[in-house]
Amino acid sequence: MARDPYQILGVKKTASLDEIKKAYRSLAKKHHPDLNPGNKQNEEKFKEISHAFDQIGTAEAKGKFDRGETEDNPFQQDAHGTHWSSYYNTQQDHGRYSQNFANSFGGEDFFEQLFGHTSHSTRGTKGPRSPFREENEDVHYQMDISFRDSVLGTEKIITLPHTKALKVKIPPGIESGTNLRFKAQGPRDYQSAPPGDVYIQIKILPEEGWGRNGDDIEMELPINFMEAVLGAQVSVPTMHGPVMMKIPSGVSTGTKLRIKGKGILTEKKQGNQIVRLKVVTPSHPSAEMVQELKKLKERLDYNPRESGT
Amino acid sequence: MKITIFAVNEAAKECGVAQEAILQFIEDEWVEPFDQYKLSLDQEDVERIKLIKELKGLGVNDEAVPIILHLIDQINALHWGLRQGLNH
Repeated sequence: MARDPYQILGVKKTASLDEIKKAYRSLAKKHHPDLNPGNKQNEEKFKEISHAFDQIGTAEAKGKFDRGETEDNPFQQDAHGTHWSSYYNTQQDHGRYSQNFANSFGGEDFFEQLFGHTSHSTRGTKGPRSPFREENEDVHYQMDISFRDSVLGTEKIITLPHTKALKVKIPPGIESGTNLRFKAQGPRDYQSAPPGDVYIQIKILPEEGWGRNGDDIEMELPINFMEAVLGAQVSVPTMHGPVMMKIPSGVSTGTKLRIKGKGILTEKKQGNQIVRLKVVTPSHPSAEMVQELKKLKERLDYNPRESGT
Repeated sequence: MKITIFAVNEAAKECGVAQEAILQFIEDEWVEPFDQYKLSLDQEDVERIKLIKELKGLGVNDEAVPIILHLIDQINALHWGLRQGLNH
């Protein structure tokens, strides 16, 4: 209701009281709720017109308004007769100049920033904070954990700068980037408001030779060429402890073998460990080995670049 | 809604300032006409010109005028926003 009543009634500032009354009657008749039942827009318009007429419909009210003596107006006209009041009235309902200011802060967002979202709040998160409301802030931290802890889960106690120690229970199988929320464990700068929340984002430190693919854990296992050719029974490390694994004969680098139930294990997840074989040859073979292999080569040489070998 | 539009000479007469002064206000970007191409001014522009005239009459120098205008626009925008927020 802060728009200029002269504009609302469609009359000039110099209009007489009769002209104002005439304009009011004409508009009131057009927008009267009895003539437009159920039309909310008309109802609002009618209220606006009535309010405008209250402001300038009598000599006394008009005189007060013209002098800027309205409750709405922060620029009450003083004895010097400034035009701040008239200018103010032109800016209270999307006035171009004040709107330019608001737009420089991102248009509509400016007022959303000021008051927060009233109808689009997301469950579990808070809307933008109002500078006029006392609210304690949420705080965010990052916690680095080892690959092993991410698989098996762990419990850590951390001390936050603003408050007491916090017990952080990391569930097995947690993924990098997961945010753990600790409700009302944040700082309490304003005693009148509840404390903010603490969010701890988990970052899993890489571990050489190990990786994760969904619920499966992947690792690389070096074997020698004799194990690759003949097959073997070898001890393989897993995050749940070492296990014996049978390597079939005739494997190569890149062959993948599965150890069931040794991946991410939770009530809902039953991952496996995927072992990727890597055939490793000695970089400094002994003279005896070279001699024996030369003998073998003469007898059993083969070409892996030909099919059927 | 009926909008009153003023040519520069009409606005000058309405505000009691010289046409050259209004053109200077526009050049200094203190006033941004309703229609920048035709240099048509509306009631908002006219009230702003009157306000500038008032400020200069109070002895405000040319460097301070845009600062005061900006502050007034801030107050107007904040006041409007505040009322919108309180009404919700």
